[in-house]
Amino acid sequence: MDKLLTVAKREYLERVRSRWFILSTLGVPALMTAIFAISVVVSSKSSATTNVRHIAILDASGAGLGQRVANTLQADSSLRGAAADSIRPRVQVVTMAGLAQAESAATAEVKQPNHIVGYLALTDSTLSGVSARYAGRNASSITDIDKLGSVLRQEVMMARLEREGLKQDIVGDLARNRLRLESERLTESGRGGSGIAGVAVGFGIGIILFMSILIHGQNVMRGVLEEKTTRVAEVVISSVKPETLLGGKVLGVGAVGLTQQIAWVGISLYLINFVAPILLKGSPIASAATSAAGGAASPITTALGGLSIMLGVVALAYFLIGFAFYATLYAAAGSMVNSEQEAQQAAVPVMLLAMSTWLLVNPVMLNPTGTLATVLSWLPWSSPIIMPMRMGLTTVSPISIVGSMVVAIIGTIGAVWLSARIYRVGMLMYGKKPSFAEVAKWIRYA
Amino acid sequence: MSNLAIDIKNVVKRYEEHVAVRDLSLQVPVGSVYGLLGPNGAGKTTTIRMILDIILPDAGSISIFGEPNTRARVLDRVGYLPEERGLYKKMQVRRVLLFLAELKGLRPSVAGPRIDEWLERFSLSGGDRNWGDAKVDELSRGMQQKVQFIATLLHDPDLVILDEPFSGLDPINAQALKDAVLELKRRGKTVIFSTHIMDNAEKMCDSVCIISRGEKVLDGTVAGVKAEAGARNVAVSLAGGAHNGAGDVLRDTQLVRKVDDNNNYFECELAPNADAQVLLHRLIQAGARIDRFELMQPSLHQIFLQRVGAQGVETGMSGNG
Repeated sequence: MDKLLTVAKREYLERVRSRWFILSTLGVPALMTAIFAISVVVSSKSSATTNVRHIAILDASGAGLGQRVANTLQADSSLRGAAADSIRPRVQVVTMAGLAQAESAATAEVKQPNHIVGYLALTDSTLSGVSARYAGRNASSITDIDKLGSVLRQEVMMARLEREGLKQDIVGDLARNRLRLESERLTESGRGGSGIAGVAVGFGIGIILFMSILIHGQNVMRGVLEEKTTRVAEVVISSVKPETLLGGKVLGVGAVGLTQQIAWVGISLYLINFVAPILLKGSPIASAATSAAGGAASPITTALGGLSIMLGVVALAYFLIGFAFYATLYAAAGSMVNSEQEAQQAAVPVMLLAMSTWLLVNPVMLNPTGTLATVLSWLPWSSPIIMPMRMGLTTVSPISIVGSMVVAIIGTIGAVWLSARIYRVGMLMYGKKPSFAEVAKWIRYA
Repeated sequence: MSNLAIDIKNVVKRYEEHVAVRDLSLQVPVGSVYGLLGPNGAGKTTTIRMILDIILPDAGSISIFGEPNTRARVLDRVGYLPEERGLYKKMQVRRVLLFLAELKGLRPSVAGPRIDEWLERFSLSGGDRNWGDAKVDELSRGMQQKVQFIATLLHDPDLVILDEPFSGLDPINAQALKDAVLELKRRGKTVIFSTHIMDNAEKMCDSVCIISRGEKVLDGTVAGVKAEAGARNVAVSLAGGAHNGAGDVLRDTQLVRKVDDNNNYFECELAPNADAQVLLHRLIQAGARIDRFELMQPSLHQIFLQRVGAQGVETGMSGNG
């Protein structure tokens, strides 16, 4: 037991001290923060600008539609730009006959610097809901054009309702409709978070587990290969049993993986909490974000609120089981061969096992209670990824979770047993890469 | 308590295509320097690995200091230098040594000062640079060999097993190794080493075992082995060469079976039942002026060639001894 810990300690300390570990531990949270910052900036850019006020409205509708649009645009508080900017679009009432001339005048004006950005031409067919025209410098801004379009549509509808005899204040009341469809996940055990959050959490857990199990599994393989090619393995195995060396290595690398993930989450949360207020200051979503988060909690921590403690504990347990399962198989692959290239080949069966799980993630997400999802959450090589994912997506009975975990542990013990036998022989076997028949013999003889 | 450092009984190890070790039994007394001799592919490394519980024998038993070699605490008393040397390349020398010592059950507080001592003794520290803080792959090959040797002895083992320790050593380091082995013996430790260089074995070993094709050919003390082989060779050096009657005496097949003219002296193998004293007497009678007349024990090298012969050297084997 002491020796197992000695092996694990060396593995852990040497890896944690390495430049690669320090770089990736600090680099990934920096990247995460950058992605968060960019997404905040991009989303804040996704509202229309005050440019939509700096336009001329050529109103040939003959129904005062231009004035209504101008009023609404002036009053719109969601526009992005200088806060003091509350210019009113210039409305120019024209006849249908004079529209062409007004348009060419407006075009000339747009072409000059520091004049209007564009012009909106309302024709007599606008009120009947057929068409209107916009030309301007910002015509390629999707958000600006969307804003103009939606304002115009709403005003056309209101004008038509009034024409049909509805009172103006009633129309205004009716038009004020900011309905949002809110979705909530309903399960046997009650309500839990929003549906979209469930999918995100499920998928996030799946991909994090998958990636970290594979990355650290391959680290184990590389470590085994290093001990074999440098021949240091023989000295070590003369002091400890091969199983101890294998176990210590898996333990040490697993601890490295855990350390790194905790560091990632911790540093990312810290950086985002630090960066978020700066980015969000003065932006329209700032007030919403701070009021929603309230006090110390940041937008991210509230987003993670959907991830319950129970789910976290189970995901952690499955990480450890899944890592032990794949890492020992990777170690066996590493012990069979003599070079990095050969190792990649030897690891193909392990990789296929992992990839087969990953390829089925999509069907599981679409139907987390289906037969496929249920079967995959019981198989030892897929349950560590699929089961926590399903827990994010739907409700799984605790009995199933415990049962699948027991099966996964039994499977892992089997993998350790198998790998230890291959490892014991493979570590001292140099020369050509063994065939599968030979490996089968090792398993029998060891 | 047994006074045998190692007791191997009827050990067998089979591989797919061949038998590496066939019914091998040998005893190594405590405090001796023991040579495991044999041509390449004879099963030396396989035997050593079985002693260290690295590979399991198919049959037979091995005990170290009277205990089965599968017990961890007994293996803590053994230091092993494998034929294929290797250390963690990216690790600091001191940390590698500390790690390997801890695996032998040494506490870091004890191992630390010892590492300093050994590094200084092998001039790896105290000079222009302290190599203890360097990474292993910054060291020269010779330095790495020294570090590996330190790792073998750091936990002060009672039994030291060296697999082909002389391979790749320059004469200076080979001499240092010989001194180190003899110092271990003086301190009451048991040393086993394998080699196919008979000279080293003859100079250093108390006892030897010659194995060939996985089987023991002979074993015993070096003196005993030589005595058993018999002192049937005589070195004769004659002033003025083998002229007159002296030449006739040496050619007498009743006395001498074979003469090997070595230029400086004749190496004569006595005929069966012939007596060296009779040969000396006859030479004097023949009027030869004798510079040297020496009863020569056969060297281990000769015994080895005679007993193992060319047939013992298999080609195309694993090369792992």
